[in-house]
Amino acid sequence: MNAFIKVISKFKELDRRYIFFLIGIAVILPLLFPLNIPLGITQPSQNLFNKVDSLEEDSKVLLTFDYYPSTLPETEPMSYAALRHLFRKNIKVITVTTIPLGALSVMEGVVKDVAREYNKEYGADYVNLGYKYGYQAVMLGMGRKISDIFPRDAYDNKLDSLPLMQKVKNYDDVDFIFIVSDNATVDYWVSLVNARFGTPMGAGVTAVMAPKCYSYLQTRQMVGLLGGMKGAAEYEKLSKNYGRAIRGMDPQSIIHFLIIFFVILGNAGYFITRKKEGSK
Amino acid sequence: MSWESFGVTVAAFFTLALYSFLYKDNPFYKLAEHIFAGISAGYYVGLVWHSIIKQQLWTPLFGEKQYLLIIPGIFGILMFTRFINRISWLSRLSLAFVVGSTAGITLIQQLHGMVLPQVRSTFLNVATFSGIVMVVGVISTLIYFYFSKEHKGTLGFIAQIGIWFIMISFGASFGYTVMARVSLLIGRAQFLLTNWLHIIK
Repeated sequence: MNAFIKVISKFKELDRRYIFFLIGIAVILPLLFPLNIPLGITQPSQNLFNKVDSLEEDSKVLLTFDYYPSTLPETEPMSYAALRHLFRKNIKVITVTTIPLGALSVMEGVVKDVAREYNKEYGADYVNLGYKYGYQAVMLGMGRKISDIFPRDAYDNKLDSLPLMQKVKNYDDVDFIFIVSDNATVDYWVSLVNARFGTPMGAGVTAVMAPKCYSYLQTRQMVGLLGGMKGAAEYEKLSKNYGRAIRGMDPQSIIHFLIIFFVILGNAGYFITRKKEGSK
Repeated sequence: MSWESFGVTVAAFFTLALYSFLYKDNPFYKLAEHIFAGISAGYYVGLVWHSIIKQQLWTPLFGEKQYLLIIPGIFGILMFTRFINRISWLSRLSLAFVVGSTAGITLIQQLHGMVLPQVRSTFLNVATFSGIVMVVGVISTLIYFYFSKEHKGTLGFIAQIGIWFIMISFGASFGYTVMARVSLLIGRAQFLLTNWLHIIK
């Protein structure tokens, strides 16, 4: 017992680089040798999938790319999975971003990739609106008339010349808004667009934002929610698009166990040391 | 080597340079940090010029003859009078417009889109167990933030319950934050192993 207490007490002086090294190994090994740890589906993810799945062919969905490149591992798989699901169901997609730094390039990359996979035609099956400064004004203005805010798309085509946009004038013509976001824009989509125009929406957000966004499920302002890489993996599994998020769940689970182990060990070391110091 | 694989190699170098800080501070980390700061600043200047000044003012004003845009253009220029002491008061006109319009939008957004739906849904669900937990959580947390009376007796007891709810919510947020940070590390590892080294597909 004394030897055990001695070892635990030593952890207080452990060089943190050993922990970094262990975390590194815990990430790399499961990526090289997948364990396929079972992945459960949470109700908010299931609800979002069900809603998108229930949309009829030729419905119109606004898909947002409101994220910076720094959160790509969490958000990009959501965009890929959502877009594949939408195109597979022959739903018309309008993409837009309210984020200036990098989102435009990410959006173009994802949309072009998936459109090529499903042989979709630009202008008829999907339209890329691009970026416009001032997200509050953009969100509100699109409720009045989208072409007032985006007279031209991301490729400088006149919006009225695109067949899809001739049928979509404002939110009244949009059946669903799928938000993928890593910042407060999701709050504005809910509190400005859903509150004022009543357009149904769901979101995929980073794990940091997820606890706050759960409150929008309670108010029924959103139909479903994907939280972080886990949420992305759930959507990939539901829509049968096995991608990077699912592959990332093995290391994610192992690191969580490792962190829980370190938290228990750290606390045990703290209490034992405190007890020893108290008895002196 | 194609431009794409050159780009991937550069990205891999900077990823490793930044992670090298975990061992100790070193010149590679400093180089990556400074290049990142410089590129971000340059990118932002280009972005402001292209997506705000050119796209929203210059082209519509001079290309499409939308002369009403002269008004916001003048408001924008007035912001720069802050650098000239004698006429710096003119910038307040622009600021007044920004503050006024933002306050107007935010007031409606917060009240109509946040406060009212949250209050309504909190009290509509009292018939369920989780609904009752939520009502107790909301009320006790609000009472914890009521500082006009000393937290003693019944008030102190309810405030104590509020602290528990706050602590649980901090725990949930922290757990999610750990997951987010780990995801970013996994993303970089996937990039190195897939796009750079081609070890995994």
